[in-house]
Amino acid sequence: MKRFLCLILAGALALSLAACGGGDSGSAGAGSSGGSAGGGAPADTKVLYHTYHSAPYITLDPSTEYSNGIMVLQNVYETLTRYNSETGEVDPVLATSWTKNDDGTVWVFQLRDDVTFHDGTPMTAQQVVSSFKRSMDLGQGGAYIWDAVLESNGGSVEATGDYEVTITCGYPCAIDLVVSAGYAAYIMSDSVIEQTTEWFTEGHDGGSGPYMITQATGDSVVLQAYEGYRGGWQDNQYRNVMIRDVPESSARRQMMETGECQLSSEFSTTDLAALKEQTDKVYTYQADTFNNIIMFLNTATEPCNNADFRRALAYAFPYEETVNEILNGNAQQSVGTVPSGLWGHDDSVFQYTCDLDKAKEYLDKSGVNTDGLTLTVTYMTGYDEYASALQLYQVNLKQLGIGLELRSMEWDQQWAQAQNTAPEDRQDMFVFIWWPDYADPVSWFQSLLHSEDQIVYNLSYLKDPELDAIIEDAVEKTVTDRAAAEADYVKAQQMVAENAYLLNLYDQMHTYVIGNSIEGVSENPSYSNAILYYNITAK
Amino acid sequence: MFKYIVKRILSSILVLLGVVTITFFIARVLPSNPEVKWAGQRATEEQLAAARIELGLDKSLPEQYVIYLRDLLHGNLGKSLNNHQPVTSELARYIPATLELVLLAFILAIAIGIPLGIYSAHKKDKLLDHVSRVFSIGSVSLPTFWVALFLQLIFYKGLNLLPIGGRMSVTATIFESVPNISGMLLLDCLLTGKFTLFFDALRHIILPCITISLYPIGLVSRMTRSALLEILGEDYITAGHSYGLSSGKMLWKYALKNSLGTTATDVALSMGYTLTDTFLVEAIFSWPGIGSYISSAVTTLDYPAIIGVTLFGATCYIILNLIADIIIASDPRVRL
Repeated sequence: MKRFLCLILAGALALSLAACGGGDSGSAGAGSSGGSAGGGAPADTKVLYHTYHSAPYITLDPSTEYSNGIMVLQNVYETLTRYNSETGEVDPVLATSWTKNDDGTVWVFQLRDDVTFHDGTPMTAQQVVSSFKRSMDLGQGGAYIWDAVLESNGGSVEATGDYEVTITCGYPCAIDLVVSAGYAAYIMSDSVIEQTTEWFTEGHDGGSGPYMITQATGDSVVLQAYEGYRGGWQDNQYRNVMIRDVPESSARRQMMETGECQLSSEFSTTDLAALKEQTDKVYTYQADTFNNIIMFLNTATEPCNNADFRRALAYAFPYEETVNEILNGNAQQSVGTVPSGLWGHDDSVFQYTCDLDKAKEYLDKSGVNTDGLTLTVTYMTGYDEYASALQLYQVNLKQLGIGLELRSMEWDQQWAQAQNTAPEDRQDMFVFIWWPDYADPVSWFQSLLHSEDQIVYNLSYLKDPELDAIIEDAVEKTVTDRAAAEADYVKAQQMVAENAYLLNLYDQMHTYVIGNSIEGVSENPSYSNAILYYNITAK
Repeated sequence: MFKYIVKRILSSILVLLGVVTITFFIARVLPSNPEVKWAGQRATEEQLAAARIELGLDKSLPEQYVIYLRDLLHGNLGKSLNNHQPVTSELARYIPATLELVLLAFILAIAIGIPLGIYSAHKKDKLLDHVSRVFSIGSVSLPTFWVALFLQLIFYKGLNLLPIGGRMSVTATIFESVPNISGMLLLDCLLTGKFTLFFDALRHIILPCITISLYPIGLVSRMTRSALLEILGEDYITAGHSYGLSSGKMLWKYALKNSLGTTATDVALSMGYTLTDTFLVEAIFSWPGIGSYISSAVTTLDYPAIIGVTLFGATCYIILNLIADIIIASDPRVRL
C-alpha cells in the first residue's frame, strides 16, 4: 500500500516538475486553424498582447460582422473613408477624393492606385463594387446602411473607371459617411467575395489593411503583419498581435501587473483603482465613445404622457452620482442626445441636473396623484451599473412619493415587452445603450425619435409632427448643407430635452490600461473598441 | 446482459428524443426574435423577412420540428444565430478542450481519491483518517471560484510558476505549428511527438485541472471510504479474518473489489455533471471550452446552440449513466 502511494506521488511530482520547467511568455487558447504565417516564423518575434473581456469577434465576415469583430476587422480591412472625431470631417482612406451632385443622389469616388490586398492582387474599382454588393446581397449585420443604394430603392453601385466608383442613391444620402462605417463597408479582394461567413470565421481574410488574420479560435485572434502594406513597417511597430478573451478582471489585472500583456480594458472598479496606482508598470488612457445610455419614458400612457411629470422624473435622476460614484469617472454626463465628438453635438443644449426641489415643483405642476404610484423600469440583465444607478434613482423618487420597480430582463424579453401591442402592458421607462453605425446623428433621431407605424426602437412611443419635420429636414440637409443639418439637430435635441421625451443619462468612456513598454494607443469613437495596432510602437 | 444493454440503449434514445422535443418547443415558445439576431438589430423589414425564410421561421411549428429532427439525424444541428456557424462544428471545436480538462481532472480524482478513501477506511478513526476526511469534506465544500482565484494568486502572481490561463503560451501559439488532430492538445502533441508543446500545454492545464478535480477527489474518497467500511463490516470479511487471512489480503482482494461498483457509479455521474458545468472554471482560467459557449448561447437565447449544448449534456449523462448501469449490472449480486 505504501509503495503504491509513493509511486503515485513520485509520478505526480515528476510530471509537475517537468511541466513547470521553462519560462512563459503569455498564454493563449490553442489554435484550431491557421498556423505560422508564411510557412515559417517571422523574423520579428515581438508580440503585442491585448486581453479583452469577451470574445474578440462573433464572426470575421467583413460584410456581416456586427459586434466585437470590429476590433479585428479595422486592422485587417479598410474603408473608402474614415470619420475623424477630432476634426469632425471625413478623411480619405482608400478613396483619394469624392464629389456628389446637388441633391446628394450621385456620388463619385476616386480611388488610390497603390493598394494591394493580402493575396497580392491590386485594388481596382471593380473590387470596391463587389465588396459593397456582397454586403447588400447578404443583407445582415450593418447592411441596412446601404438602404439608399439598394436596387429595389432605385440605387446602384458601378465601376466607372479603373479607379473610379459611382454610387447612385434612390434618395439623398450621405454616402461619404456610409462608406466610412465600421460595419458592412469594408473593401475586400475579389478572390474572397464568394466565400461564406464560415470561411472567414475560420480565420481567413481578404483585406488590404496592415494586418492579416493568421489564427482565429473563437476566443482569440492572431494578427500578423502584411509586409506589402503601402505604409511600410518600422522596427518599433508590432508585427504580431494576439487578442484574447480573458473574462476575469482579476486575471487581466494580474497579467498587466506582471507585464504578460500590454493592453487591456473593462476592469472592475477595484482592479482599475489598483492598476492606476502602479505607475511604474502601467498607465491609463480614457477614450470618448459614442455609446449613449438612454432612458425612454413611455409618452403614450399615463403618467409619463404628462410633460411636467416627465420633467420631474428628469430632475430626479442622479446623473452626477452615477458618473462619479458608480462608474468611477468612466463616463460623462450626456449633454444632448448627440455625444461629444460627433457633428451635431452642441455643449449649449439643455441638460437636466439632479435637483429634487425642481423635481417636486414639476411634480406638483403636473397634477399627477402619486398615491400608490409605482413606475416600472426595465433594463438588461448583466448590466450592474444600470442596476446601481436605478437603485439610487429609486431612492430619489421615493422622496417624491413615487415607487420604482426595477425589472432586470434579457434583451429579447425587454424588447418584446416594449413592443407589446397593448400600451398598458409596456414599461414606464426603458434603459438601453445606443451607438451609431456610422458618424451621423440620424442614427438617434430617425431610429429613436421619429414616429413609426410599427414599434422598433422608438420606445418613448413618440409621435411629434414638429420633431419629425425637423428630423426629415436634417436628413435632407446632411447631404446638401451639413451646417444647416447640424443646426436642425441642435434644435431637435433642445426639443427632446425640454419635453423630456427621453433622458440621455451618460456617454460611456473606455478606460484602457496600457503597459509602460508601448505607446500610440488611441480609439476613435466612431469605431468603438477598435484600436489600430499599426499605430502602436514599442518605447 | 446483452438484452439489458440493448434495452437501456433504446430507452436512452427515447430520453434523447424527449430532450430534443422539450428543448425545441421551449426555445420556440420563449419570447425571442431569432430573425433579428440573424439579420442584425437594425435590419430593415426586407432583411428580416429574408432571415425568417432562411431560418425556416415562415413554416408552421410542427413543420419546423420535423425539419429539425430530419437534420438532426444527418448530424446537422442548425446554425448559431449569433455567428452563423454550424452548431455541430462549433461543438466540435469547444468540446475537446473541456473533455481534455475534465478527463484529466477525473484521472487525477481517481488516482488520488481512491487510494485516499482506501487508506482512510483502512485506518478508520486514526489521525490520518481524520485528516483525510477533513480534506475530503473541504475539497467538496470549497467554492470552485475561490479555489481557482487562490491558485492563480499563489502559482502565477506569487511564485510565477504556472500560467494564469489559456491552453498554450502566446509565443507557441503564434510561432509554432500547433497540432490539431483530436482537439485535445496534450494528446495531439504526444501523437505528433511535439514534446516542448506538450509540456507547454501541460503547464497550462495544471491549475484548472486541480481546481476541477478537487470536488471529485473529495467525492471519490468519501464514497470509497464508506463503501469499503460497509464491506469490511460484512460477515465474510470477519470469517476471512478468523481463518487467519492477512488484513491486507482481505482489504485488497476481497473487500475493495466489491466496493468499487458504487464509487464507479458516482464517478461516472459526477463526470457527466462536470462536463457541462465547468463554465466558471473555464471563465477564470480563460479556457476555451464548452462552458464559455454555453454561457454565451444562453444569455443571447441562441436557440440552435442551446439545443445543441443541451443535447450534448443529455448525451453525456445518458452514456455515463449507461456505463454506470453496466458496471452495476456486471455485479453478479445484482439481479437483472
